[in-house]
Amino acid sequence: MLLAQVIVGGLLLGAIYALFSSGLTLIWGMMNFINFAHGEFVMLGMYVALLVVVWLGGGPATFGFAAAFALFVLGVIVYASLIRHVMRGPMLAQILSTFGLALLLRYTAFWIFSANFVSLPQVSLSGTLNVGGILMPVPQLVAGVAAIALTLGLHLLLTRTTVGSQLLAVAEDRNAAMLMGIRPDRMQALAWGLAAGSAGIAGALMAVSYPWSPSVGETFGLTAFVVVTLGGFGSVPGAMYAGLIIGLIQALSAYWLGPIYKDIVVYALFAALLWLRPQGLMGKA
Amino acid sequence: MLLSAQNISKAFGSFLAVRGADLAVAEGEIIGLIGPNGAGKSTFFNCLAGDTVPTTGRVLFDGIDVTRASAEAHARAGIGRTFQVPATFEDMTVLENVMVGAFLRHHHRGAARETALRIVEMTGLTRQSAQRARSLGTPGRKRLEIARVLATGPRLMLLDEALAGLTPTELQQAIALVRRIHELGITLVIVEHIMEVIMTLAQRVLVFNQGHVIAHGKPREVVANEAVIEAYLGRGHRRRRREAS
Amino acid sequence: MKWSLPALAALLLFYPFILTGPFYWDIGVAFLLAAISASAWNIVGGYAGQVSVGHSMFFGVGAYTPLLFYHLWGLPPVAGVPAGMLVSLALAVAIGMPTFRLQGHYFSMATIAVAELIRIFVGTWDLVGAAIGLQGPAVGRAWWDLTFRSELPYYYIFLAVLAVVLYTTFEVERSRFGYYLRAIKAGERAARSLGVPVRATKLKALMLSAVFTSVAGSLYSIKTGFIDPESGFGILVSVQMVIVAALGGAATLFGPLIGALLLVPLQTATNTWFGGGGSGLTYILYGGIIVLLARFEPGGMHEWWQHVAPRLMRRSHAA
Ligand SMILES: Nc1ncnc2c1ncn2[C@@H]1O[C@H](COP(=O)(O)OP(=O)(O)OP(=O)(O)O)[C@@H](O)[C@H]1O
Ligand SMILES: [Mg+2]
Repeated sequence: MLLAQVIVGGLLLGAIYALFSSGLTLIWGMMNFINFAHGEFVMLGMYVALLVVVWLGGGPATFGFAAAFALFVLGVIVYASLIRHVMRGPMLAQILSTFGLALLLRYTAFWIFSANFVSLPQVSLSGTLNVGGILMPVPQLVAGVAAIALTLGLHLLLTRTTVGSQLLAVAEDRNAAMLMGIRPDRMQALAWGLAAGSAGIAGALMAVSYPWSPSVGETFGLTAFVVVTLGGFGSVPGAMYAGLIIGLIQALSAYWLGPIYKDIVVYALFAALLWLRPQGLMGKA
Repeated sequence: MLLSAQNISKAFGSFLAVRGADLAVAEGEIIGLIGPNGAGKSTFFNCLAGDTVPTTGRVLFDGIDVTRASAEAHARAGIGRTFQVPATFEDMTVLENVMVGAFLRHHHRGAARETALRIVEMTGLTRQSAQRARSLGTPGRKRLEIARVLATGPRLMLLDEALAGLTPTELQQAIALVRRIHELGITLVIVEHIMEVIMTLAQRVLVFNQGHVIAHGKPREVVANEAVIEAYLGRGHRRRRREAS
Repeated sequence: MKWSLPALAALLLFYPFILTGPFYWDIGVAFLLAAISASAWNIVGGYAGQVSVGHSMFFGVGAYTPLLFYHLWGLPPVAGVPAGMLVSLALAVAIGMPTFRLQGHYFSMATIAVAELIRIFVGTWDLVGAAIGLQGPAVGRAWWDLTFRSELPYYYIFLAVLAVVLYTTFEVERSRFGYYLRAIKAGERAARSLGVPVRATKLKALMLSAVFTSVAGSLYSIKTGFIDPESGFGILVSVQMVIVAALGGAATLFGPLIGALLLVPLQTATNTWFGGGGSGLTYILYGGIIVLLARFEPGGMHEWWQHVAPRLMRRSHAA
């Protein structure tokens, strides 16, 4: 029973990994660009949720939306003011732009919020659900289900809508898309908005059940790298499966080996992947 | 045969860019490769130069199977190629660009520099030799690409539209340069849209269309060939627009 | 220009006598260490254009092995330096082999992930002191323990190492290897078509860079006599190397020196202004500098000067 509970907990957390990793993989797929500040976007989403709850009150729907919106705007700003100018420049500028941004965001958060762990004050979600003897905390359950729904939503947005096909057209061939009357700049700004927004809402969903500090961004960023590598670069469905797998592996290694090993196991998995299947489990060679 | 490519096909997903193309080049020849846009000429070159591995077929160079060898192994074996869109090293000077090529046969800087200087002179780049490649226009870049390949000491050179976009005077100089390269004993395969170049330089011509070799023979015969005229007229307007630009 | 190199050498040689006292010597040593590490990073991150953001893994390995040799077997810490170099070399191969097959960003991502993996792992590994770290000999048993009360001997040891690193870089720049690195950075496909063995060349650059970075780490731990996961493998160790090299001018011989010259005094100043507790502000500043560099002048001060100098010259001629 305990094991089953661990598995369910891992999958629920993995669903959130899937959500924010799909943002990272979207940017990679479209622009061949790795965002080193992606984990910081998740972290900021958590603080946005906190500020909204403390200042304005309101339930998960409110602060979830607020986090998504705030980060969407931030994503667009980051694209327009920074990424657009470096993305065809030298490799050093490409890497340093978001790497520097990550430091800037992380340590600004340290400065404003201090290094202490915080958690959301009691929100309307609470209690546990007993499903056949497996105890599931309602907040995690809601967050996990919402995360899966949002990831699927993002996937559908990309594959089933006009905007989505325009996004993919830019990813496929920037110049051809331009000839079809699509403005790649707008589409890429939108992609950054969506990527950051999904990171923001993922942060808000996690904030419901877990305490955090400004340094979580680093961990989440690396987790997203591992998920994207496992799922195959650029694939949202890949990121979804891989997110669930990573959540599960973390939960099981914490359960069997002890909590300090959960990150080591995941990063070690990354190192192994690097050697054996760098194109990812689901990726093409 | 210096180079012999047999039944080369290249698929991108389900699309076949090259379909069962054959080519045999004897030492000392100049072969022209023509065909409308998108016919698969560059893709075929990529297969010959080890830039991609063909989906089917094999490539023999000097009797040795090089089909799956890397691009750098091709260069070492003596197959040099230029790129249709010049890929010069923008932040390096013209001389340094050529030296990168020269280092293939010379380990020491002095020797590589000497070779590079000689080739820079031969290709008419002496005046620009200390400039960064980014400061050259497209004609200069194309010439630099030729120089760079020449510096690797190739036995066979594959030129992909290396003479496109030149003014009439530049074109005459470039044709003279190709002749001089040929006089050095280097075999050439050239892709060109400009018929004048093909007619004056090539001893034999291959015509590509939709991945197939639809004709080959002497330049005069080929331009009179029905299928070739057909292939070109079908897309003629695109070609003219492209040459104008 | 002809005199700038001897002038620089003289300045570095006599600096401890120009600005005397432990305070200035300390800054001098910090400057040298930053310049050594950044020059080491520069070989792969600058010249080869393979931007590592996890170079702390080599620094940390180099920093741990000397103190581990002392801790486990009571050997003089210097004895651990070659071992650190070897481990770093192996690590470079282990990371370079798989990632250099793939695109540029992948390498960057892999370096930071592996550095983090090692940092967390070392933090749980009792043999190497886990989260607490390791200590060197408190009092030197003989001169070969290299524990000096004064900063001065360290200054000259570090300076000698810097000279070796710079000289090697200078030789690399002029050699076939150096030309190949720049060609790879400019365009791998074109480089390959000219017979450049791309993967092997990148790997060689990473190996050389790793060895020098490892030595920098060793110098650090031998001098401070203490190392823990954060000061050895922490992300800020990597950040410092990247920022120093990029600020001065990546892929230039003296760029890292210029970068260190700007950054180390700045660091000392911000630490005094903001105090130890406010060190977060220093990193906000670092992040800001990195973003601005990436956005406006990825070539660093070196490139900036090349834009500005001609203009200044023209103005002074006109006046
Ligand atoms: N990497 C690739 N992926 C998918 N399709 C490709 C790729 N490279 C080329 N193609 C397609 O293969 C076909 C042949 O292209 P190729 O560049 O070989 O033609 P070409 O004869 O050189 O044309 P041009 O005269 O315009 O240079 C084209 O339809 C092109 O769109
Ligand atoms: Mg072509």
